[in-house]
Amino acid sequence: MKIAISAERADLASDVAHRFGLSPYLLVVDTETMDFKALANPRATSQLGAGVRAVVFAIGEGVEVVLTGYCSPAVYNQLVSNGIKVITNVSGMVKEVIEKYKAGDFGRGLTVEEQKEQATRYINRDILARALKSSARQFVNILPILIGVVLCIGLFNAFVSKEALASIFSGNVVLDILWGACFGSILAGNPINSYVIGAALLNHGIGLFAVTALIVTWVTVGLVQLPAEIASLGLRFALLRSALCLVLAIPVAILTVMILNFITG
Amino acid sequence: MSMEKSQKPKRVASQSSRYMLIFPLLVLVIYGVLFVLTPEQALVALKSSGKVCLNILLPLALVFVVMLVLNLFVKPTQIVHLLGSGANIKGILLSVAAGIISMGPIYVWYPLLKELREKGAGNMPIAVFLYNRAVKPFLLPVMIAYFGWVYVGILTVLTVLASVVNGYLVGMFAKTKTG
Repeated sequence: MKIAISAERADLASDVAHRFGLSPYLLVVDTETMDFKALANPRATSQLGAGVRAVVFAIGEGVEVVLTGYCSPAVYNQLVSNGIKVITNVSGMVKEVIEKYKAGDFGRGLTVEEQKEQATRYINRDILARALKSSARQFVNILPILIGVVLCIGLFNAFVSKEALASIFSGNVVLDILWGACFGSILAGNPINSYVIGAALLNHGIGLFAVTALIVTWVTVGLVQLPAEIASLGLRFALLRSALCLVLAIPVAILTVMILNFITG
Repeated sequence: MSMEKSQKPKRVASQSSRYMLIFPLLVLVIYGVLFVLTPEQALVALKSSGKVCLNILLPLALVFVVMLVLNLFVKPTQIVHLLGSGANIKGILLSVAAGIISMGPIYVWYPLLKELREKGAGNMPIAVFLYNRAVKPFLLPVMIAYFGWVYVGILTVLTVLASVVNGYLVGMFAKTKTG
């Protein structure tokens, strides 16, 4: 049987290195004859690709068991997927560790199949952790502007009169929609802000036509992002797309409110 | 993707995070000035903001849950794959889906869209994708809390339909220049 052990040096008197894949050497030892082959790991100091190289070496040498101090979930998964049993928390001199393994001192442990199931759980946990981190980052990114908008809504409610708003939003459906679409096109940021602003406008008696146009154009038309869109997708594409979005906001707003009125009576 | 291309969105993102803080800080300064000039009205404004804040708390918690679910099951590579499916009906539907489930700021997507177009993706699916970013599944709890589910349902359906019209027109008129 062949065993792979992470080692500090290329001999059996070496200590077991803590981390599989990043150890200076990987020894493949034949437990019958105690002959061994050593793979020097030139990438031991850099993490990139070192684990994969060690896995490929172990598979190529027909290794059945890996003994090491620690193994990352990704490398663990690759090893057990290839039918290699992994035993971690191993330390001491390589030769003594092999003798202990032969004597059954490490116990029965998990079978390769059980280790495969464990690896799936490791990966799932890893994915969940990444998703949590990503969601938290996205959520935190929303907050500063949202807090600013909520504070502005307070100012708006306290200082802007309905009469002042009526001078802009006169009640003429088309003009109101155009004003809503203009504000939506100029203002930018997470759409959640457009919902908060839209709700505040509704509370001040502004019609749903204008609010809908504001919500629609908030994302579809972005004057602030226009230079970036032009740089990536071209002037013609960006201008044409934005202009069409602005025009389309009018029928979308009218139809939304008309259908809503029809349904709700 | 080259190093230069992959680092650009990071720089933009870091600049953007700084700008994001300027706005709320500026509003706080305005509050500070108003508390000196008209303390009573400023207090009314602050209380009003507090009410808005309380109303939005529960929907915001749901926003986080939906964001987490999307982050767990949707990967940017899948979205890029959906977008590269051509300008037929299936391709358009996949672009709609890609736009709806895509998250994050738009400037992160521009370099990817540029690359996709260089690889042959048409203007229509890209325009459809960009329009459908107006449909935000993770913000639906907030939108429904403010406007009701009937309104949200109607607006969502019309947005998707308008995205196809927009994509078709962009595809038609931008054709001569970009193919």
